Amino acid sequence: MVNMMNLIQNEHMKLYKRLGTWVMIGLILFAVLGLGAFTAFIMESNENTNWKENLKIENAQLQKQLEESPLKGAGETYVQKQVAINEYRIDQDIRPVESQSVLGFMMDATNFTGIIALFTIVVASSMVASEFSWGTIKLLLIRPVSRTKMILSKYITTVLFALFSLVLLFLFSFLVGSILYGVEGVGQPYLVYNNGSVEETNMIAHIIQLFGFNSVDLLMMVTLAFMISTVFRSSSLAIGIAIFLLFTGPQLTQLLSSYEWVKYVLFANTNLQQYTNGTPLVEGMTMTFSITVLLIYFVIFTTLTWVVFKKRDVAA
Amino acid sequence: MSKKPVVELNHVTKRIGKTTIIDDLNLQVFPGEVFGFLGPNGAGKTTTIRMMVGLMDITEGEILIHNHSIEENFEKAIAHVGGIIENPEMYKFLSGYDNLVHYARMVPKKISKDRIHEVVKLVGLEERIKHKVGNYSLGMRQRLGLAQALLHSPSLLILDEPTNGLDPAGIREIRNYIRQIAHEENMAVFVSSHLLSEMQLMCDRIGIIQNGRLISVESVRDFVGTSSKQKIRYHVSPLDQAVELLRSTYGSVVESVGDGFIDTTVSYEGIADLTELFVTHHIRVYGIENIQSTLEEKFLEMTGGEK
Repeated sequence: MVNMMNLIQNEHMKLYKRLGTWVMIGLILFAVLGLGAFTAFIMESNENTNWKENLKIENAQLQKQLEESPLKGAGETYVQKQVAINEYRIDQDIRPVESQSVLGFMMDATNFTGIIALFTIVVASSMVASEFSWGTIKLLLIRPVSRTKMILSKYITTVLFALFSLVLLFLFSFLVGSILYGVEGVGQPYLVYNNGSVEETNMIAHIIQLFGFNSVDLLMMVTLAFMISTVFRSSSLAIGIAIFLLFTGPQLTQLLSSYEWVKYVLFANTNLQQYTNGTPLVEGMTMTFSITVLLIYFVIFTTLTWVVFKKRDVAA
Repeated sequence: MSKKPVVELNHVTKRIGKTTIIDDLNLQVFPGEVFGFLGPNGAGKTTTIRMMVGLMDITEGEILIHNHSIEENFEKAIAHVGGIIENPEMYKFLSGYDNLVHYARMVPKKISKDRIHEVVKLVGLEERIKHKVGNYSLGMRQRLGLAQALLHSPSLLILDEPTNGLDPAGIREIRNYIRQIAHEENMAVFVSSHLLSEMQLMCDRIGIIQNGRLISVESVRDFVGTSSKQKIRYHVSPLDQAVELLRSTYGSVVESVGDGFIDTTVSYEGIADLTELFVTHHIRVYGIENIQSTLEEKFLEMTGGEK
């Protein structure tokens, strides 16, 4: 029996000995540096000493808005929540998180998971298709290794690349943020509004949670790209479709959200933050529902990949 | 042969859609022999090889390697096989050495660094093994291909057109090498080619495939054997006298007469008889050459007749 570790090691060797991979990793780091430069040197520094004043003004506006044009359901709760949190800040003397602090910087940097999704799609798309286009698949599959193990090792390597990039983004944004703004603000709590009362939670945990939510979308699109790469043996097709859907999918579902069936579409469910920090796309959707739908899609994608790879005749 | 075959093909058939590509193929390859698989382009050589290494499904029949079915017991069967399927495509962005390390990690038993170096030395790539494969010449890639096939000391070596794209010196080297490992290490070698001359020099037995059917399996000795006739060209002087002598002695052996030579069709023994005849009649013999192997004729006859 060939050790699974050996196969994963092989895939890693093939991935990280290519220049393209390092260019992608370099670009992630470069994006964080760019954001750092922007927030530190270009963005207007708001030495917000009278932040309490600002919050009071904001709350007044929100209240007015509620009275003048009553929002219903989710919209109303959102405003109430915002008001409650702002009041809590004023009472407890807790400053809002700013972009020009290490935590604010890290929160901004979580947006770069989109870039990581993009790059991981590129990696996933070439994982299987490249072996075919290089012709190396013929020598790869005549080893005493089952095709199931082979494809699994490739998938694991892809997911590990995403994980590596996410950890890198997290640590590097912390590094850059703390160099630019110091680490004093690290203890700042994150405020959650829960059943009418405001609670303090750990900010770092919240940032990791943000990473987690963004990774759901990433994992689904990467799995989709991996499937297309395996089924059609074309990396360009896989990259094209996956990236197109990555950018247009959420908009499309938003556009069609008046239809009931939209809730079964993959993209209506990838954003789990709609349950913790927003409003569900279609009324009646719940976290459990979304997770179930995501799992079903995931199983379909991976099973299709596995069956096609296992059964395929390798010709040409 | 009483030895157990390394690989057995029993009633192997491959159909894609309604087209039968391989039709009821039966053959066996034994340890220590080089088996040539000969056929024109498109006859089904590559398809057969792909089925033998599990890259393609077998529609009917079975392929056994050391009694393990390649379909039902793939991992056990393929562990005995080393192969090059078509051109040896390697990872161009890796060094030759990393390529070998990659394949070494994919077998159950541990392959030591010493073994890798041993194989590298065997194929003569020591100088360039740390360089990227992208910079290799075709000949070097063939050698690296051979190295990856031999890495795990297989008992069956499957080579698809191994001399494709090699220069004459390279062809000769590979040929000698293949014969050597087959005979010294008792390895079974299965080679496919559409080049007859190549096969004749390299193989012990030859199977001819056409339109997906195996139409003949013979040992090379029988093929070019002592009984069949060959075309022999004699460079002799004086020419007229020699032609006269042959016509009066043997009648029909002379095929044609050229500038300073006579082409004859004779048996294996006949070559010696004719030479003796010339010498005893004081005709100077400057050269004797085999101008057309009967293998080629036989091959054309067989493949041409099967339409």
